Amino acid sequence: MAEGDDRTLLEVRHLSVLIETREGMIRPVSDVSFAIGRGEAVALVGESGSGKTLTGLSLLCLFPPGATVPSGEILFEGQDLLRLDAAALRMIRGQRISMIFQEPQSALNPVLTIGTQISELFKSHTDLPDSQVRERVIERLRSAGLPDPERVFKSYPHQLSGGMRQRVMIAMAIALDPHLVIADEPTTALDPTVALQILALLSSIRESRTKGLLFISHDLAHVRRVSDRVLVMYAGRIVEDSPASRFFGDGPLHPYSLALLSSRPSGTGETGRETPLPAILGQVPPLWNLPPGCAFAPRCPRADDRCRTDQPPWQSEGASGALCFYPHHSPLGAPQHVA
Amino acid sequence: MSPESSPLLETRGLVREFDLPGGGLFGRRKTLTAVSDVSFSIGKGEILGLVGESGSGKTTIGRMVMRLLDPTRGQVIFDGLDLTRLSGRSLRRQRRRFQMVFQDPYASLNPRMRAGEIVGEPLLIHGLAPSVRERREKVSRLLERVGLSGHDLERYPREFSGGGRQRIGIARAIACQPDLLVADEPIASLDLSIGAQIINLFSSLNKTERMSLLFISHDLSVIRYLSDRVVVLYRGRMVESGPTRTVLDAPVHPYTRLLAGTSSGTPSETQNGAGEPSASLCPFLTRCPEALPVCRESMPPSLENSESGRQVLCHLVAGHSSWKSSASPSLIQGSP
Repeated sequence: MAEGDDRTLLEVRHLSVLIETREGMIRPVSDVSFAIGRGEAVALVGESGSGKTLTGLSLLCLFPPGATVPSGEILFEGQDLLRLDAAALRMIRGQRISMIFQEPQSALNPVLTIGTQISELFKSHTDLPDSQVRERVIERLRSAGLPDPERVFKSYPHQLSGGMRQRVMIAMAIALDPHLVIADEPTTALDPTVALQILALLSSIRESRTKGLLFISHDLAHVRRVSDRVLVMYAGRIVEDSPASRFFGDGPLHPYSLALLSSRPSGTGETGRETPLPAILGQVPPLWNLPPGCAFAPRCPRADDRCRTDQPPWQSEGASGALCFYPHHSPLGAPQHVA
Repeated sequence: MSPESSPLLETRGLVREFDLPGGGLFGRRKTLTAVSDVSFSIGKGEILGLVGESGSGKTTIGRMVMRLLDPTRGQVIFDGLDLTRLSGRSLRRQRRRFQMVFQDPYASLNPRMRAGEIVGEPLLIHGLAPSVRERREKVSRLLERVGLSGHDLERYPREFSGGGRQRIGIARAIACQPDLLVADEPIASLDLSIGAQIINLFSSLNKTERMSLLFISHDLSVIRYLSDRVVVLYRGRMVESGPTRTVLDAPVHPYTRLLAGTSSGTPSETQNGAGEPSASLCPFLTRCPEALPVCRESMPPSLENSESGRQVLCHLVAGHSSWKSSASPSLIQGSP
């Protein structure tokens, strides 16, 4: 058990999820291990289909129909969530682990006021007398940065802007003082200027030092603002786990992480379109047809024969690690250029 | 004007209003002004970036430029011709010269047509490759041009990845060798690594085929990388425009400053209903961290800095010596 280190909030060990599809059995989460400490914000980065959302949902034991979990442990505050029954899980979801979804407009009930929806949480999870519920909800709305919480309490979701709705979602997520907050692409639907404020708010969640944050995103600029550590997923596996300072500073270890970092225009750089972006060749392989060796090998500039036939080992270097035969650590090397 | 200096595309005072439901039989009809007084130009071989949040009117402008939507007022001048006055055959004859790449490659391709038919259809419609053999050859070349192969001719859209489908959409758009491509968030639905490939394809089309591009995006770093000039929209109005680097490195309008991350202020969020900005005042007023008393009294002037080729709609720089009132309201000149 992870009790030896009480700074560890969550530890996932060798988690795999299998799903039966028409194309055959796939493993969208494959031997995933990572930990989140108290007061730590961990980012989970990956492209669509990499398994990042499913990994996030696994932490709430929310699996799609037809999924099985052949191996792994999800130790949350020392307790293996995979061994809990439905009733015990209900006590954990929302109360000790909560989730913020991508689109607040589809996660909120359009015919109930914000006040009613958040009050419901207190009524179903706590013994708080009704007279105090309203007060508590308004306090939560205020701590989520909503300027006029009394008015928001009485509003319906459609009366709020996108940014305000996402703040309401955050208020709901922190309502019961959970220890772990999972935010799945929380800023995708927002105006860029509003997104930055939401990121600052999320980032403040971990300041209590008791809470942890798992921030799922494909936007590295946002990840850079929020996270202490970065996990990169590719084709169901975690291929890199590095401190953010290292990832964005000296550069990541895994060639895929490096390619992701350099395939986006920097936003400050002096080079324009006369210099092609170092794009990654090809595309993510389908999960039902993975290559025998490293899943990234067919697109990797560093790959050799061994990468194409054997599963790469996990190699650590200080606080960083990567699933690669050739983890590399020069600052932004030169990946191939594609016209 | 010599042909070289006249812009390929010019919009003059574009306005688009939409009727809102409600109002009843005798009630006053309500309208929503999605685009207000938008004037810009694109030179030959130039890339113009159009940036703004969702709902700022970017897509509506793109559709008016394509004449998929008629403007309520204003003109779209394409190579000297007022497109808003053309119809029927004369419009169709021009259509092959401006083409569109859509955001969602899943929704914009006919699932029952093969890639070859999708890309070959515009050639057939415009009679550019009458024989089957000729068309097949041309389509193969087009597919190769966008990074696919001749083997992909017989495949259906569902057999391609998102990036592959976007390449088909681009191949179709460039089939008739248009002078102008309008690309509406073409990489928003693509993965990071695939997006970079598509951006490179656009810059290559601009460089080798000299295609002009109206590139619509909410992503400033992509706009910065790709475009020569930029137009920043807020609630349907142009709040700032000019050469991309100049505008993004030293933005003047408070909204652009927030977007570019050079502002220390924080915008206030308003409730959609109650805080609706008045149509006769600055569209950004309700969220502006730097609003002056005058901003609550009158519409900001459209100002021009002729030296740097910039324009801004803001009270903050009014009276500043380098900013003069624009001769023609919010019209920026192309400088290819």
